[in-house]
Amino acid sequence: MGFIFDGLDAEAYDRRYTDRALVVRVIGYFKPEIGRMLLVAGAVVLQALLDVSLPILISRTLDQLAAGQADLVHSAALIAAIGSLAWVFNFVRRSFSSRAVAAVVLKLREDAFDAVLKRDLSFYDQFVSGKIVSRVNSDTQAFSQVVTLTMDLFSQLLLVVLLMAYLFSVNTTLAWITLALAPFIVFAALTFRRIARNTITQSRRVSAEVSAHIQETVSGIGVAKTFRQEAAVYDEFVDVNEQSFRINRRTGYTFSAIFPILNVLAGIGTALLVYVGGLNVQSGALTPGDWYLFIQGLGLFWFPVTSIASFWSQFQIGLAAAERVFALLDAEPRVVQTDNRPLPIVRGEIQFDRVAFAYKPGEPILTDFSLTIHAGETLALVGHTGSGKSSLARLIVRFYEFQGGRLLIDGTDIRTLDLADYRTRLGLVTQTPFLFEGTVRENIRYGRPDATDEEVERAARHVGGGDWLTGLAQGLATEVGERGSSLSMGQRQLVALGRILLQDPAIFILDEATASIDPLTETLIQEGLDTVMRGRTNIIIAHRLSTIRHADRIIVLRRGQIIEEGNHLALLAAGGHYAELYNTYFRHQSLEFIDAQGPVHG
Amino acid sequence: MISNSEFHISDAYLYNRHSTTRWVASHIWRYKWLLALALGLQIVSLTTYASSALLIGRAAGEMVKPDGGQLLQYALAILIILTMDGIFNLLAFYAYTHIATRFAADARQELYASLLGKSQTFHSRQRVGDLMARATDDVALLSDMVTPGASLLIESTVTFAITLVFIGLIDLKLLIVPGLFIIAYIFAVRGYVHELEPITARLRNQFGHLDAVLAEIISGIEVVKASARELFERDKFRTSARRLRDTAVQQGRVEARYLPVLLFAIAVGVMFLHALWLYQTGVLTLAGVIAVMGLMNVLRWPTFSSIFTFSLIQSGLASADRILSIIRAETDLDENAAGIERVVQGEIMFERVSFGFSDQPLLQDISFCVQPGQTVAIVGQTGSGKSSLIGLVNRTYDATAGRILIDGVDVRAWSLDALRSQIGKIEQDIFLFSRTVAENIAFGRPGATQTEIEQAARDAQAHDFILSFKDGYQTVIGERGVMLSGGQRQRLALARAFLSDPRILILDDSTSAIDSATEAEIQLALRHIQRGRTTLLITHRLAQIRWADHILVIDQGRLVADGTHDELLRRSPHYRRIFARYDVALPTLESVA
Repeated sequence: MGFIFDGLDAEAYDRRYTDRALVVRVIGYFKPEIGRMLLVAGAVVLQALLDVSLPILISRTLDQLAAGQADLVHSAALIAAIGSLAWVFNFVRRSFSSRAVAAVVLKLREDAFDAVLKRDLSFYDQFVSGKIVSRVNSDTQAFSQVVTLTMDLFSQLLLVVLLMAYLFSVNTTLAWITLALAPFIVFAALTFRRIARNTITQSRRVSAEVSAHIQETVSGIGVAKTFRQEAAVYDEFVDVNEQSFRINRRTGYTFSAIFPILNVLAGIGTALLVYVGGLNVQSGALTPGDWYLFIQGLGLFWFPVTSIASFWSQFQIGLAAAERVFALLDAEPRVVQTDNRPLPIVRGEIQFDRVAFAYKPGEPILTDFSLTIHAGETLALVGHTGSGKSSLARLIVRFYEFQGGRLLIDGTDIRTLDLADYRTRLGLVTQTPFLFEGTVRENIRYGRPDATDEEVERAARHVGGGDWLTGLAQGLATEVGERGSSLSMGQRQLVALGRILLQDPAIFILDEATASIDPLTETLIQEGLDTVMRGRTNIIIAHRLSTIRHADRIIVLRRGQIIEEGNHLALLAAGGHYAELYNTYFRHQSLEFIDAQGPVHG
Repeated sequence: MISNSEFHISDAYLYNRHSTTRWVASHIWRYKWLLALALGLQIVSLTTYASSALLIGRAAGEMVKPDGGQLLQYALAILIILTMDGIFNLLAFYAYTHIATRFAADARQELYASLLGKSQTFHSRQRVGDLMARATDDVALLSDMVTPGASLLIESTVTFAITLVFIGLIDLKLLIVPGLFIIAYIFAVRGYVHELEPITARLRNQFGHLDAVLAEIISGIEVVKASARELFERDKFRTSARRLRDTAVQQGRVEARYLPVLLFAIAVGVMFLHALWLYQTGVLTLAGVIAVMGLMNVLRWPTFSSIFTFSLIQSGLASADRILSIIRAETDLDENAAGIERVVQGEIMFERVSFGFSDQPLLQDISFCVQPGQTVAIVGQTGSGKSSLIGLVNRTYDATAGRILIDGVDVRAWSLDALRSQIGKIEQDIFLFSRTVAENIAFGRPGATQTEIEQAARDAQAHDFILSFKDGYQTVIGERGVMLSGGQRQRLALARAFLSDPRILILDDSTSAIDSATEAEIQLALRHIQRGRTTLLITHRLAQIRWADHILVIDQGRLVADGTHDELLRRSPHYRRIFARYDVALPTLESVA
C-alpha cells in the first residue's frame, strides 16, 4: 500500500522529463538486457490474463452450478491451477526484472563513477561531495524505480483494460457504474497526496529541529556538564520534543484517513452494484455468476486506479534522477591532455611561461605569469589569501586547466605528459592532509602500493626520528579512523610526510598547515620536513616562520604578480611588502615575541 | 531501577527496563485505556467488514427469489455497514496513531534524560552520529512498530479469526480448508521473513558501504589524483557496487518467490471445490457458496499485508533494543548530592594517579602539587595523556588508582555540583551553542546582566569584535548565524569563563591565530584570566609554556620531567628539543640522576 505515499519526499525539479533523447538513452541501457526484458513482458501479459480469468471462471462456475451442470473437480482444479500459474508468472516477472534492473543500475553507476573520476578539481569545487555521492548512488537507484514502476503500471493497466472489456461485454450499465467510480477514487487519492505533502513537509521540518537540538546538546554536553546546566537543556528539549509529537501525530492522522475513505467509496460502489445488479438478475438480464463477478471486479479495479493516480509524480522523479545522472556523464572535463608522453626521469625543473589562469571566466588569478623553479631548489611562496600561491601549486599538479601560456616540466609541455606517470613523480601534502580509513601503514603505502612492510617502516622511522610512532597506540598498525579523524592534525601531517618519503617524488609541494599543533609534534614535523625536502624541488606555500627562514628563495605574491623575491634576511632588510607580511603573519612565531610576554604573575 | 546518574528528573515516569519487550510493553501500558478502545473499535470495524460478505451472500439469496425479496434493504444495509466500517476503522487508527507518536516522544525523552545523566567517559566513547541515529531513526521505527506494524498485525489476526468464525457459522465443515491454509501460511511467512531479513540487512549495509566508499574517494580526490591511484579506487568502487548488485538480485528472487500467495491461490481453489461439493450434497445453498467465496476473498489483503508488518515489528524491536542499551548503559559517576560543598581555595594535588580504559592505560603513577593561584603548563605529544590528566580534576573521568585532592579533599568526596561549578573548563574543541553571543557568554550564569556580560567580554578581549557584528551581542552564532574564527571562539569561551569566575580553570587550548595581532589579543586574554586562580593549561602557545610557574612534561602516560622553563631546559631532553629549532644557544644539558 506504500505506493500512494511513495515519491512524496521529492523536491520539485523544474526540468522537462519527456525529453525524447532521455528515453532513447534509457532504452539504450536496457539493450543488453533485451532477452530478460522480453521474458518479463511476456510474463506480465500472461499474469494479467490469468488474474482476470480467475473471477470470470468462478462466476461461470456459479452459473453452471445454478443450472445444475457443473463439473466440480474440473473447475476447482482449474481455479487452483490458474492461481498457481499466476504465481509462477509473477515469479518469472519479478526475478528477471530485478536482475535486469540490477544490471542496468550497476552499469549506470559504474559509468557515473568513471565520469566523476575523470573530472578535474574544478568539478569538485562546484559540487559538494554529498551531492556527487547522491548522484552516483541514489539517483541511479531512483532511476531503477522508474523501470519497476512502468512495468507495474503496465501490468495493472492491462488488467483494468481486460477486466473492463469483459465487464462491458457482459453488462454495459453495470460496467458504467464501475467505471464511474474511478474519477472519485483518483480525485480522493490526489487530494490526499496534496494534503499529505504539506503535513510531511512540516513533519520533516520538526524532525530536523529535534535532530539539531540533540546534535547540539550532545556535542556540547561537556559544556552543559561543566556549568551544571543539564536541567535548562532538558527543559528546552522537552518543548521541542512535544512540538514534534503534535506535528507527527497530525501527520499520522492524515495518513490514517486515506484507506478508510477509499473503503467507504468502494462500499458505495458495492452497494450500488448489489442493488442495480440484483435488479438485472431478477429481470433476467444478468446471471447470478456475473453479478458476483461485478462485485468482485470492483475490488480488482480500485487498487490499480489508486496506484495510477500516484504514478506520474513518481515517474517524473525517476526520470529527473536519470537526467541528473546523464548530465554527470556528459559533462566535459576541462583539463585536456594533448598527448601522453612518458617522462622517464623528472629532474624537477618547473617553468611558468606567460601563464594565464582563472577559476571563473572574468576573474583572473594569474595573467602573464612567468617563473622558473630550478631543479633541487626550495621555494617558499608567501602572500595574502587570494594572491595566487595555491593556484601555482594546483597548476603544477595539473588539477586545473590554465587558459594561456605554457607550463614546462623539465622543458616538456605539461599538456603532452602522461598524467598518471607524471603524478607519480609528484608529492603533495595539503593543509589538512587526507587519510583513508585503514591503518597508518596502509596510508603511508598509498603513494607506492608495491612497497614492502620494511620500506614503509623505514620511511616512517625517517620522519622526525620515528619518535611520533610512540604517540600512536598501535604504532604503524594504528587505525586512523574515518578520514584520519582518530589522529591529531599533527599526526596526520607526519603520516602524509611518511607517504611522500616512501613515494620519493622529484617535486614536493607542501601547503603548510595553519592549524596550531602541539609544540612537541610541531618539532617532529619540522624535523620530518628537513628529511623529506632533501634532494628534491620543493614548493612550499608557507605559513611557518621556520620554513621561510630555511627556504633558498622566497617569492612574494600579490594579485598574481611576483613583487619581491630573495631570501628571508635580505627581504626583511629591504623593508618592503615582505617585511609587512612578516609582521602580520610570522612575527608571533618568533622567540622574541615569546620572550616579550614576560611572567604572568610578575 | 535507579542507577548512577549525574542528572535526575524529579517526577519522571518509571518504565520497566528489565528487558526490551517489557520496556516496550511498559511504554504502551501507559496508554492502556486508549489501546483497549483502539482494539474494540478495530474488532467492531472488522466484524462489520466481514459481515458485508455475508450480506452480499444473503442479497444473492434474495434476488433469486421470485418476488424480488428485500434486495434494496440489503443493498442499503451493505452501504451502512461498509460506511460504519470506514468510520470505526478511522477512529481505531487515530487511537493507534496517538499511542504510536506518544510512545516515540516518551522514549526519546527518556533517552535524552538518560544521556544527560551519563558521564563524560560514556560520551567520549560514543559517536554523536550514533546517538543521533538512535534518537531519531530508531525512535521513528518505534512509532512504525505500533502503527502500521502492530495495528496491521492485529488487523490481520482479527480478520483471520472473524472470517473463520463467519465461515464456521455457515457450516463448521467449511473450516477445514482455511484452517489448513492458515497453518501453512504461518510457516511460509516465518520462513520468508527468516530468509529475507539477513538479505535486507546486508543490502542496507552494502548500500551504506558504497556511499562511504564513494564519499571517501571524493573527499580525498586530491590525494587520489596526485598519487595517480584512480584505477585502484575504481576497483574498490566496482567491487562494492557489484556486491550490492548481487544482493539486490538475491533479494528480488526471494521476494518474487513469496509463497503465501501461492498457498492462497491453492486454498481458494480447494475451498471452492469443498463449497461446491457441499452444495451438491445439499448442505449449502448458492447464497452460502457466494458468501464463503466472498469471505475467502476477505483473507486476500491480510495475506499480503502481514509480510511487511512482521518486518516492521522486528525492526521496531531491534530499535527498542538499541535505545534501551543506551538508557541502561551503566555510568560510573554519580551526582554525590550529599558530598562536601564549600568554597574552593585552589590547591590541587595528584597522589600516584593512574587512569585508563580497560584495554589501554593512559596515565601511570602521576604525582604533583599545585599551589593556589599557580599556572601549570602541561607539555607532551598527542596521545601522551595530557587531556586525560586535566579531565580527572573536575571528575570528567575518575582515576583508576591513586587520589586527586582539591584543598586536601578527595574529588570523589565533593558534591559534583560544588566541584564542577567552581572548576571552569575550556575544551579543546570550543563548543558554542547556536544562540546569541550574549546567551553563550552567560551560559554558565543564567541571569547575568548585560553589563556583567560585556565586562566579561572586555576581559576576554572579545568586546571589540562582538561589536563589529551587525547585531552585536544579539548576533546568532553557528550555521544559522555568524561563523566565527578559531580565535574568536576562543575568546568567547574565555568570556564565558570570566563570567562564571571559577577558582580553578582548566584550559585545553589548541586555537591557532593566523595573524600576530589576534595572537597578541589572545595572549593578553589568557594572561588576564590566569591571574588570581589556579590554572591547568594544555597549550600550543610557547609563550604560555615558557612563562608558566610550573611545567609538566608527559610522555606515554608518565610524568618524565617537571619544573620551571629554565630548569627544564637544563634537565629535559624532551623539552629542549622544542626550543632547539629556534637557533638559539641552550644551556648545557645536565645528566639526570
